[in-house]
Amino acid sequence: MNAKAEKIRVASIDPSYYQAVTDAIRTEAVKLLSEEAVVAVVGYLPGRRTGTAVPGLVTTPEQAQQLIFSPACVNNLSLYLTKAKKGVLKKGKVAIIAKGCDLRALAGLMGESQVKKEDIYTIGIACAGVFGADSNRSGGLSEASIARKCRECTVHQPEGTDLLVGTLPELPQLTPLEAEELARLEALSPEERWAFWKEQFAKCIRCLACRQVCPFCYCEQCLCDKNRPQALESSPRPAGNTAWHIVRAMHLAGRCGGCAECERVCPMDIPLNLLNRRMAMELKELYDYEASTVPQEKGPLTRYQEDDDQSFIK
Amino acid sequence: MSRIGVFVCHCGENISRTVDVERVAKEAGEIPGVAYSCDYKYMCSDPGQNLLKKAVAEHNLDGALVAACSPRMHEKTFRKAASAAGLNPYLCEMGNIREHCSWVHEDREEATAKASDIVKFMVERVKKGKSLAPITVPVTKKALIIGGGIAGIQAALDIADAGHQVVMVEREPSIGGHMAQLSETFPTLDCSQCIMTPKMVDVANHPNITLYTYAEIEKVDGYIGNFQVTVRKKARSVDESKCTGCGVCMTKCPKKKIPNDFDQGHGMRTAIYVPFPQAVPNTPVIDRQNCTMFQSGKCGVCQKVCGPGAVDFEQQDTLTVESVGAIVVATGFKLYSIERKPEESAIQGYGEFGYGTIPDIIDGMTFERLASASGPTGGRILRPSDGKEPKQVVFIQCVGSRAREKGISYCSKVCCMYTAKHTMLYHHKVHDGQAYVFYMDARTPGKGYDEFWRRAVEEEEAVYIRGMVSRMYQRGDKIVVMGSDTLVGVQVEIEADLVVMATAVQAQDGADLLAQKLGISYDKYNFYSEAHAKLKPVECATAGIYLAGACQGPKDIPDTVSQASAAAAKVMTLFAKDQLERDPVVAKVNEKYCVGCLACKKVCPYGAVEEREIRDRQGNLVKVVANVNPGVCGGCGTCQATCPSKSVELDGYTDEQIMAMIESL
Repeated sequence: MNAKAEKIRVASIDPSYYQAVTDAIRTEAVKLLSEEAVVAVVGYLPGRRTGTAVPGLVTTPEQAQQLIFSPACVNNLSLYLTKAKKGVLKKGKVAIIAKGCDLRALAGLMGESQVKKEDIYTIGIACAGVFGADSNRSGGLSEASIARKCRECTVHQPEGTDLLVGTLPELPQLTPLEAEELARLEALSPEERWAFWKEQFAKCIRCLACRQVCPFCYCEQCLCDKNRPQALESSPRPAGNTAWHIVRAMHLAGRCGGCAECERVCPMDIPLNLLNRRMAMELKELYDYEASTVPQEKGPLTRYQEDDDQSFIK
Repeated sequence: MSRIGVFVCHCGENISRTVDVERVAKEAGEIPGVAYSCDYKYMCSDPGQNLLKKAVAEHNLDGALVAACSPRMHEKTFRKAASAAGLNPYLCEMGNIREHCSWVHEDREEATAKASDIVKFMVERVKKGKSLAPITVPVTKKALIIGGGIAGIQAALDIADAGHQVVMVEREPSIGGHMAQLSETFPTLDCSQCIMTPKMVDVANHPNITLYTYAEIEKVDGYIGNFQVTVRKKARSVDESKCTGCGVCMTKCPKKKIPNDFDQGHGMRTAIYVPFPQAVPNTPVIDRQNCTMFQSGKCGVCQKVCGPGAVDFEQQDTLTVESVGAIVVATGFKLYSIERKPEESAIQGYGEFGYGTIPDIIDGMTFERLASASGPTGGRILRPSDGKEPKQVVFIQCVGSRAREKGISYCSKVCCMYTAKHTMLYHHKVHDGQAYVFYMDARTPGKGYDEFWRRAVEEEEAVYIRGMVSRMYQRGDKIVVMGSDTLVGVQVEIEADLVVMATAVQAQDGADLLAQKLGISYDKYNFYSEAHAKLKPVECATAGIYLAGACQGPKDIPDTVSQASAAAAKVMTLFAKDQLERDPVVAKVNEKYCVGCLACKKVCPYGAVEEREIRDRQGNLVKVVANVNPGVCGGCGTCQATCPSKSVELDGYTDEQIMAMIESL
């Protein structure tokens, strides 16, 4: 490896980029709130510990000065818009800070009639990436600390926002670890692959954090809580766990925006985003459908076209 | 605890041959909740139905399961019997142990075990079933006829004469279809135009018929009694309301050398044209691909000479929505094109015949045009290459048909008869000519048909050679036809001036796409499927849609007309009632759990789902949910399968019922 490549590999993203994004967010938020164009801004506030950030709702121009953007801003904020979760939209029109991956969720929610476009103002971020779940955050964002999903992000510069803030710094080329892992699993025999997932699902304690953090899990009664008839076993045992994760993957097929929040919050480190990505690939190959940052009228499972692949119907 | 009766049918020997029905009945009696079980030779017969009625009364049954044939066959029968015995008809179900079991299995032991399983899970379904009341919906007494050939025309006239409104949609600029192209018709040799054109005029003048020509079906929504059909009227470039049909535009059009499809490419027409002089409506259409005005923007002669100012180069396609109660599909056929192997098709071409490269090898429809008084030769039999009168003509039957190795295994039904007719027409017009016919079999069932064929052979001097042609090639101005005479056992070689091939009858182009729009089924050749080959030959499995003519399979004119009138009779039966009673198998939304993602609305093929706002007492919006209109719901269950939170249930097929069925096994 030559010296330049080595430098890029270890170099952190210049902190001035984050400061610029933060400033732009604050300016816009103050403007929107003082003009009363929105009643609140959903964004990120500094966490208690240095180098952390928490989701926050600000309603006054003064509070808006607290908003930040840093590599610690991992959460997908579109979660807070749906009724099943926080339902902040009840208050009126809100502005929301969204990274590319979060925007795909927002667009999905609009397509599924959960959020109306006219009820929100999207402040998109030209995002360089965020921290991985358990990475060492002391040295800023680097190859060592960046989240796996960000290594192969395709929406650094999202489209379809009301406002896009930030100028992307030069981004290093990183090895696509997820794609490699997917390829490794694909190369296995079905038995070996099943063994892999069986082991992963066996770890599940059914805390359902993956469900709670997913913006697309907006049902008021989840299918897995239904008991007449019971669709799947509710206690954390292998059969029910497997059923749950398969149902989850199927329900997200083609809808998932790839924010990988499910994987981040999983206390048992199940690589859930691999499943999501595998299903997304399937939908792309079979029906040329992929989650987009722009709302689509029909979703992958509600759309029918005459040239849809029907080869699986025998 | 339920009190269910199980009735196991022998179906003569259809079921009892492979299934031990007595054992199935005995085992059914041991299922918890079954109060009575028995077996009987013919459950659908009068004594069989009485058995059910008696058992309901005697054993105080609250549900019934008849293990017999498919519910499509007899569900109505048994539900009626159950209803007569005082049971809610929707608590009477059928277990299919015939089509799903005895007919498809050989091993008696295994088939019996499977039949018992079918009974077991169907009992669970009855247990979780609910009493339902039928739904009534109004019937729109207006019929849509797709296709304006003889089938469509007959059906339209019959329905319109009965006093109902009819909408006819024809893809081509004129109605008439293939029959308008024919010269004479078998077995009476009466002129096709003479019997066809008056009917075409009747359609155009009928006060109850709305005619859309040069139009196609864009979209079909709804269900029996209440279809919404979107019709795309293609831009004709001529305003039908202004055009008087004087024909000046056609005489002045400078583009005169365009092969006319109506004459199978052997006559010429202009760019603004009517397909044939007797066309209905007699309104020209501009063929935009061949029109100088559309291609280069210079010309416009037709517009200048048109007195009423009917020519409109700016005309666009228009969409019209028609509400109809019934649909008759009469889209007809096309002839097998054998010149080359169609791409990505299982059908092989006939390259060895030289069709398409040797101009004097033509198909049967082209011969019809040559023989027709309105055709390109004015009714004289002249061969295409040099316009000479052919003295030796070879007719070949079964080209494409009955040739499994070439991809089509069926018989095209009309070729034996029309080839016999062709030999006669030829003999009448060329007295010193000789006709030869290569045939596999002469199939002539039908009133007066065999007599007609014998006349061709015995009185009109056609030479019939039993055998197929292997190869044809040009030698000088002759076509050498090499074939075999299998009755004599010799190879035959004939030097012909003209060869006429009776090519196979095939489904129309796009027949499959139309079927998908209508939601009807079709076979591997794209012919539409009837609901029952013997007992429901004109009905589609989709209620309210009927078939007429060759779109269902090869048919001659008498059969086509009979079927068209039969389809019309079915439509009139439907229109005899003001209200239609429908099964209450419809979807219901659980508003408590519905999150209003409206996936159900997006997938509903009937357009039965709409949004409903739920508000509190102060009028504040609580949430938006999906709502199913039971009158429109077709009970397909797509919404139930799509709903992510399982908030939609189909009555009679609830998740609870289906899970109970699975768990019983």
